[in-house]
Amino acid sequence: MADRSLVHIAFYAALIAALGLVPPVAIPFLGGVPITAQTLGVMLAGVMLGPVRGGLAVLLFLFLVALGAPFLSGGRGGLGVFATPSVGFLIGWPVGAFVAGWIMRATSRMNILASAAVSAAFGGIVVVYLFGIPGVAYMAGLPLLEATYLSAIYIPGDLVKVAITALITQTVARGLPGAILSRS
Amino acid sequence: MAFWLTKNRQEQARVCDPEANPFAVFEGAGLEIGNRRILSDLTLSLKEDRIGVIGLNGSGKSTFVRMLNGLRLPDHGSLRLFGAEAEKAAPELPRHVGFVFQNPDHQAIFPTVEEEIAFGLTQLGADKRESRERALVFLQAHGCEALAASPIAELSEGQKQLVCILSVLVMEPRLLVLDEPMTSLDALASRRIRDKILSLPQKIVMVSHDLGHFEGFDRILWLEEGRLRMDGSPFEVLRAFEADISRRSGVKLELAAL
Amino acid sequence: MISIYLQGTSWLHRIPAGLKLLAVAIASLILFQVKSPWVFLACLVVVAVCYASLGRQGVAQLKLLRGLSYFLGILLLFHWVSGTFLEGVSVILRLLVLVLAANLVSVTTRLDDMLDAVMPLFMPLEWIGLSARKPALGVALVLRFAPYMMQIFSRLREAYQARAGSTNSWKLLPPLAIQCLRMSDNVADALRARGGSEGLPR
Repeated sequence: MADRSLVHIAFYAALIAALGLVPPVAIPFLGGVPITAQTLGVMLAGVMLGPVRGGLAVLLFLFLVALGAPFLSGGRGGLGVFATPSVGFLIGWPVGAFVAGWIMRATSRMNILASAAVSAAFGGIVVVYLFGIPGVAYMAGLPLLEATYLSAIYIPGDLVKVAITALITQTVARGLPGAILSRS
Repeated sequence: MAFWLTKNRQEQARVCDPEANPFAVFEGAGLEIGNRRILSDLTLSLKEDRIGVIGLNGSGKSTFVRMLNGLRLPDHGSLRLFGAEAEKAAPELPRHVGFVFQNPDHQAIFPTVEEEIAFGLTQLGADKRESRERALVFLQAHGCEALAASPIAELSEGQKQLVCILSVLVMEPRLLVLDEPMTSLDALASRRIRDKILSLPQKIVMVSHDLGHFEGFDRILWLEEGRLRMDGSPFEVLRAFEADISRRSGVKLELAAL
Repeated sequence: MISIYLQGTSWLHRIPAGLKLLAVAIASLILFQVKSPWVFLACLVVVAVCYASLGRQGVAQLKLLRGLSYFLGILLLFHWVSGTFLEGVSVILRLLVLVLAANLVSVTTRLDDMLDAVMPLFMPLEWIGLSARKPALGVALVLRFAPYMMQIFSRLREAYQARAGSTNSWKLLPPLAIQCLRMSDNVADALRARGGSEGLPR
């Protein structure tokens, strides 16, 4: 069903954009590092849509940002964002969504809460930081270790998002089982 | 995962005859989705200019009208559309059958009105610039040129539905199928859209819950639980339908029956 | 149309999108080979003049640096601690030039023109049997439905607030995801009813 897949991809890309509008939550005990809902959208895309469609949804989202749509949290967009030190994270997003979707499919016999948590954590954190940290190091002219320190402040927030992704996936699976396309 | 592959554009000969009348012939047609029977044993042929479809929620109206442009195919019996077997006709049907959905927000797929109208023309093979130009001319002909650059998201509900109807009309279909097109509209917008629909040269098949919308129609189909309960002139079918509703609502309401 | 594009007719607006993209790509490649802070400083002045040539709304664009300044401050601190302060200054100047130059292309090019300029890059997809029409259709769909989804989200939020009192909860997201998927089935039908993403057979 070709058209349906295209629409699913576009809808998740739009969903990631919509999540960029959710105001960032600053968590005091993390030193006030703002947590945005956008990477939640990246994790959800992989976990819900599966590897190919999930990855493409994030890619389409980034393509729109590059074309000039102000869809990144805080209303940022345009080519400028791809010249900032966080470009590595942006590149890591579609790959992370792909990996998350792939793990979701590979663990389809597992309990859905656990499976979604593992997929989101591996795809949405490990893979994304694997691209993000070298990006920071390169763009900021820092050694890898220091780039890691600089990036690590966001990890607690990302762990919160992993938990939320798992909860959302479980709730959706109960409400509309066919919606977890990564498993169907 | 075949969706990223392009289908080879079939060069095969056209199978549909746009002049065919009756344009749809059902013979014992039915459809099951999951393990629910949605439609069963439909035998009828459609040729009138204005056909209405009524029935309660879940009676199969939406699935029935989706069969008219090949969005759903019967798995029992046979269906011929514009002189060809439905499955063979399906790829060609968007050319001959325009479909207007209940919720304009689920139908308009482009950011601006002009692009939405132009899409139908590119679908028929026009290039991008030509479609844009023809879309503007078409909007002018329908007195809507002022809307051309407007984002769809900012239009009123009535304007959105009008754009959806125009975006289908621009493809010059023979038949226009409308699935509850007035549901989200206020009284005035709904009257305007209805008048617009009735003024069209196309053949019309329309689903509605508001029986008043069928004024001037030639034939009404009443579906119930996936079967054709009654088929005839608006006068007799609508009267029988209303009588049935009053009879049933007299019975004490229970949640399970809603 | 939702975009960071600034309405205008300046000389930068009039340069074809493809040319601007090419220029900024080449400039970025060159800047990564340069080490001297003086070169970056000169470039920064040039870019700033370009913004100024767009008038007041161009200068207002420089506020996008505010979001970046926090990070740049920390970055400088890191370099200072590790004894590479001068290198840090170079890095920061280069980042500023890169970000501002790339952003300059975005604010002076309509999203449509940008899309048209990069569409030829999708043509190789056709050679290996993939569709080059789909990326453009996908872009249109996102631009159309992103605002609509924000609308659905705020409606859900109101409904939730009316019953629960609070507004921000992850509990709003499952119904949002479900509604989106339900809606996408309808939209896919609507697309198919007009001939699908590939267009009609000729």
